[in-house]
Amino acid sequence: MSGAPAVAGRQDEGAFARPARGRAVSDHPLPWLLPLVLILLAFTVYPLFYNIYLSFHEYAPFKRALVWVGTENWTRLFADGRLWDSLGVTLVYFVVALAIEVALGMAIALLLDADEPGFGFLRGVLTLTLVIPPAITGMMFLLMEDPQFGILSYVLKLFGLLDSTTPILATPSLALAGVVLADVWQWTPFMVLIFLAGLRALPVEPYEAAMIDGASPLQTFTRLTLPMMGKVIAVAVLIRGIDLFRVFDYVYVMTSGGPGTATYSLSLYAWQQTFSFVKWGYGATISLFSLVIVLVVANLFIYLAKVRW
Amino acid sequence: MNDRTRKEYLAGIVGRYVRGEIGRRSFLRTAGRLGLGAGALGLAGRPLGRALFPAARAAEEALQPSAEVLKWVADASKPFAGTTLRLATESTPPSNAINSQLKPFFEKASGMTVEIEVLPLEQVLQKLTLDVASNLGTYDLYYIDQSWAASFYRDVFDPREQIQAKPDLAMPNYDIDDFLPALVDGICKYEDRWVGVPYDIPIFIMMYRKDIYDKMGFKPPATLDEYYTQAKAITDEMGPSMYGATGQMKSGHYSLECDWTAWLWGHGGSIFNADRKFTGNDEQGLAAMDYWSKLWKTMPPGVTGWTWDGEGQSIAQGVAATMMSWGEFFPSFDDPDASKVSGLVEPVRCPKPTALRTVEQTGFGEIPGVGHQGGSSLAVSQYSKNPDAAWIFMQWATCADTQALITTLGGGTGPTRSSVYDDPRVKANARVGAGTTRHLDVVRATIEHDMGSEPDLPQWAELSNDTIPVQLGRYFAGEYGSAKEALDDIAEKADAVVNG
Repeated sequence: MSGAPAVAGRQDEGAFARPARGRAVSDHPLPWLLPLVLILLAFTVYPLFYNIYLSFHEYAPFKRALVWVGTENWTRLFADGRLWDSLGVTLVYFVVALAIEVALGMAIALLLDADEPGFGFLRGVLTLTLVIPPAITGMMFLLMEDPQFGILSYVLKLFGLLDSTTPILATPSLALAGVVLADVWQWTPFMVLIFLAGLRALPVEPYEAAMIDGASPLQTFTRLTLPMMGKVIAVAVLIRGIDLFRVFDYVYVMTSGGPGTATYSLSLYAWQQTFSFVKWGYGATISLFSLVIVLVVANLFIYLAKVRW
Repeated sequence: MNDRTRKEYLAGIVGRYVRGEIGRRSFLRTAGRLGLGAGALGLAGRPLGRALFPAARAAEEALQPSAEVLKWVADASKPFAGTTLRLATESTPPSNAINSQLKPFFEKASGMTVEIEVLPLEQVLQKLTLDVASNLGTYDLYYIDQSWAASFYRDVFDPREQIQAKPDLAMPNYDIDDFLPALVDGICKYEDRWVGVPYDIPIFIMMYRKDIYDKMGFKPPATLDEYYTQAKAITDEMGPSMYGATGQMKSGHYSLECDWTAWLWGHGGSIFNADRKFTGNDEQGLAAMDYWSKLWKTMPPGVTGWTWDGEGQSIAQGVAATMMSWGEFFPSFDDPDASKVSGLVEPVRCPKPTALRTVEQTGFGEIPGVGHQGGSSLAVSQYSKNPDAAWIFMQWATCADTQALITTLGGGTGPTRSSVYDDPRVKANARVGAGTTRHLDVVRATIEHDMGSEPDLPQWAELSNDTIPVQLGRYFAGEYGSAKEALDDIAEKADAVVNG
């Protein structure tokens, strides 16, 4: 007898916890995750494995088919001077653009981290560059940096910073800087917004204590703000860094990788091999190589910066 | 007044009205006498132009497709009503004119639907390659750039065979021999097979500012040396507000290769010799580079960052006085809405080459000539599920009547048929203004006498889009010690690409 009510109670509890709706609406996570899993399988996992498959094949125009080439694409990869050149360009682009965007983004965020009249509007304006497609930004800067018609070239010449016959984007020593400029203009506001969100969430007490202790603004920034913002900066660097490593639009529109190979990025090289030369296997191999680099660097960074998701 | 005279006269008064030489009232009165009702003057053809330029509608009224051609389309298409045809094409004047203005006439007459995908050239190549590799027949018609003929010649029907195999589907008076023979050779012939028919023909002609030439006391140059001397004199006299020449010299871009070939061929050089070895670095090749390097100094400083867009703008914005480049720019120079030099630019044939190699002295079917061409062909895919329907569309799209409409409505693009150059509708547009055809006599003469065609080999896409323009870009950026060093490097790389 003593056990009967308990059993009955459990039955009742069970009936309450799992009513008739159980057939129509499951509590099991699988049905809810299934659409997302299928989308990931279709658009991420399948292309990844297909890319791996492609990297061991090459399109043979005469046979009109993919043919098995074994590890030829991978061995070619390591002997391809153009690939290493483009990796070098990509790394320089990545480091320079990221450093400028982080520094400039933080500086602007600190300036805007106040409730002065009009600052809300300024913060809103910052989002404008983010909605412009990168290819359009590339076109804008292509025109602005044109030595004949460009306003930027004109201003630089006016201040004696540029020779009247020097085309920014066609001069090897300046071209990459010209492309980075477009990236910095478009994406610094993204960093500002992330940093602003982080700054607004910082506690005020440490700052009050620092003020009482007579800390200078620089000391407050280096000893309080930067350490407390560490995680936010790390996340911003990670997101932006991965994006920078894939740079394609600006380079394609503004320089086509030139002059020579001065701005040839890894993504542009992969695209060219795949789409212009119909070397699907080698293009896939370059893409996979690029993916491996991003995964290694990103995970190393996550480990070192102790980013926790 | 017969129909032909009426159309010519109508085109004339439309042109005068658009240029503001006659008032609206006068235009309406004259148009009315020619039989155009008031209803014709409501909306015009181009999307933005309809409401703004009633005159354009009047021009279209006069430029309807031939009733005879449409009747043939209707009769031949009866078994194929309801069929959907697909074409992937680059954004070229013929494709744009068909897609935006002429397609509805075909669809209405045939009962078929035509889906035209306008894509960047690389994507067209990619889609065709996928279609060929998969045998899916996604596209019924192939737009084939002249440099791809060797890659796709086995995947399309030879139109001569189609005419013979299906006489019941052959358009009366299609006249395949009307296509300019030089274009057939240069664009769509590969090993005696026709890879479709010539579809469009951008080609290098010389365009110069007559006002500046008059001021300088120059006549159009007869030789390349004279071209340089005049360009230098203009730059010396008028620079930096005006430059004697201009170019499309963006590193790593196909346009740079196009400019190079014109100078190379014009100095008696060639890309390959008969043994299929790269010869751009021989004596003639070096002479061409020497010439080009000197000419470059007479151009605006931006040329090394410009493709054809920047080059065309440098003339349209009044920055450069001459160019040897794509003739299809010319109508835009005459358009007062798009150019500061409307009516000031004149077309002439390119200066005579210093020397010229024969086709036999070159390799891979290369045809030397200062008039570099970048044409394309249109063909029916072997994998099409509706090859007969596609063949009907192809004949309609490339027949003389449609080409005349494309040329007139599509902004003065060069026809690929001989008869179209003499079509009264085309001739009637030979006046200063948007969409002019007054450069077409020069285009025809260039096709017939000066045309240069790139070699046909499957590796040409890589050579012309990367190997050659990247190293040339490095040369103009000062990364090589000399032109010879640059050309020797190209030779080594090009031969490696050709030999796999």
